[in-house]
Amino acid sequence: MSKKLFKKILVANRGEIAVRVIRACKLLDIPTVAIYSTADKNALHTLLADEAVEIGPPPPRESYLDFKKIVETARAHKCDAIHPGYGFLSENPQLPIACEKARLTFIGPSAEAMRLLGNKVQSRIKMATAGVPIIPGMKASGENIFQFESAAEEAGYPVLIKAAAGGGGKGMRIVNRREDLASSVEAAKREAKNAFGDDTVYLEKYIENPRHIEFQVLADDHGNTIHLFERECSVQRRHQKIIEETPSTALTPALRVQMGNAAVRVANAAGYRNAGTVEFLFDKSGSFYFLEMNTRIQVEHPVTEMTTGVDLVVEQIRIAAGEKISDYVLEAKQRGHAIECRIYAEDAENNFLPSSGEILFYQEPVGPGIRVDSGVEQGTVVGVEYDPILAKLIVYAPTRELAISKMIQALKEYKFLGIKTSRKFMIDVLSHPEFKAGNTYTNFIEKHFSDRTVDVVPALELAAAVSTVAMAQGSKARPTAVKQAKGLSPWQTIGPWEIGMRITK
Amino acid sequence: MINQFAYNDETVETRLKTVPSGFEVSVGENIYLVSEIAPGKFQTHLNGARKLVCCVVKENRSYIDIDGMLIELDIPSDDGNMASSAAAHAIAKDKIFAPMPGTIVKLLVKEGEKVEAKQPMVIVEAMKMENQVNSPASGTVKKINFKDGEQVGTEIPIIELELPVP
Repeated sequence: MSKKLFKKILVANRGEIAVRVIRACKLLDIPTVAIYSTADKNALHTLLADEAVEIGPPPPRESYLDFKKIVETARAHKCDAIHPGYGFLSENPQLPIACEKARLTFIGPSAEAMRLLGNKVQSRIKMATAGVPIIPGMKASGENIFQFESAAEEAGYPVLIKAAAGGGGKGMRIVNRREDLASSVEAAKREAKNAFGDDTVYLEKYIENPRHIEFQVLADDHGNTIHLFERECSVQRRHQKIIEETPSTALTPALRVQMGNAAVRVANAAGYRNAGTVEFLFDKSGSFYFLEMNTRIQVEHPVTEMTTGVDLVVEQIRIAAGEKISDYVLEAKQRGHAIECRIYAEDAENNFLPSSGEILFYQEPVGPGIRVDSGVEQGTVVGVEYDPILAKLIVYAPTRELAISKMIQALKEYKFLGIKTSRKFMIDVLSHPEFKAGNTYTNFIEKHFSDRTVDVVPALELAAAVSTVAMAQGSKARPTAVKQAKGLSPWQTIGPWEIGMRITK
Repeated sequence: MINQFAYNDETVETRLKTVPSGFEVSVGENIYLVSEIAPGKFQTHLNGARKLVCCVVKENRSYIDIDGMLIELDIPSDDGNMASSAAAHAIAKDKIFAPMPGTIVKLLVKEGEKVEAKQPMVIVEAMKMENQVNSPASGTVKKINFKDGEQVGTEIPIIELELPVP
């Protein structure tokens, strides 16, 4: 690259996506400034950037969401652009507005496009006008419970309460009966307020057991709007995507063209620039409905990168700098199969409670077609302040079948000790015959894994054997850890007990 | 040398013997040959079957990964107290703790209220998700130590129960 796209970029995020963006900037030879809360002083993104600036205390509102402070920091450190990542401020129009005032380039769409698409209610109406199919439901956000009640009656139960500013399942509730409507609206508003700082919610018909299929789009200032095919993200838990793949087993070549064209129409109707994702619900009859457009890089963008060979973050930066979409990207084709598993800090064997603590041992899987996008390493202390996503494991293989077995193997070789992660759960999901058959719908986890248990008892002997040696090996450092048991152990006198709830130090 | 480990109500006892190729650990009927090949990484042999296992011991707890399955074993400490707060808290069925530090979103019960086992008691928010904490037992709510909106740790119980005399 002969010409430098930007002088310096501030990365307004944390975790794996901040790391991903910093690495893309390094590819383009652009220096980076990381921001971090006091909880992330030694986080990977803080360490990787050329400069790192403490932005505030752990609560997001006082650090990663404080756009004024972030823009001031960018100015003070002579940056000429800000990359927002995903989550936090990435879909908040106040950031691009503040950037414009400070003469900084925001790496993403315009505030207007963001405002339109960020408002799920307005964007529904706009897309319906543009000839894109939408889900039946409220034409405006709900002000009081009576409006929700009448809209629910009209659409027919079950209905879905959604945050107008929402995403990622936060501020979202399915309601099956009128009796539960008021409490669900209340809970959705609370979650929406906490996650997005906006408690506006609305209601739409709940499409039962659809597939979730989205299209990656890119649009530049030179009149190019393209899509880079689909990602299927049907495997979700509590509306949170956990496994994504491409291509989708549900799409025929004809449907792919039809939905891809609809995605391009959505981007054009919104006057969209940069990378974005158009999400559709796909029902059993093969109909698809516009769900929303995410105006940022997606968590699951790597599966598109693996199958098309496109570096989406590099393209984001190029487009923001006013460049044309790269020629190789305009000609990109879908090839092979890619799967992503999100590694969450949660205890899948105990109601998916969030897990926190220090990562005592960490080792990433390696091999052809295996990619890890991680925001953590050995020694990282995982706190409770932020989203529990730690890393993403992505595999690429020529066929879906091979990709599934490669992912299972990679998950077995991905080692995390000290905090609980969802790896074993992912292995079980990928090994399920219905997943292998491609029968993935948004109720997949609920249907096949609601009463999942893991029997570790057969493995206890091996675990104890290894622990014995680990203690003996570590005994030089901690001489009191290994001791001769004599007589009746205090352990035996303490009586029966059980772990009723997850408590982590 | 004898060692003991606990997992829920299971107790496992092991005997360690040093051999030239590493260690022999007898557990029940089996003898495992174990050698540490790198810090935290162990090669194990049992009846000709090999398996690579990762393991770290910290503060009376052993963390083990076997093919993606995580097992945490408690190691009784010298003074006989279980060091892990999980173990200590788990004994007490009459106290309800936050699963992790967070914010009380909503208390679902009042002092003096009769509750059933598994009844939702309180919603705690951590990592931006709401987590419902259920009652470990049937009984009467004796004391509530927090209010809606307050920060909660894992040291002080949110709710204390009066359990019926068995």
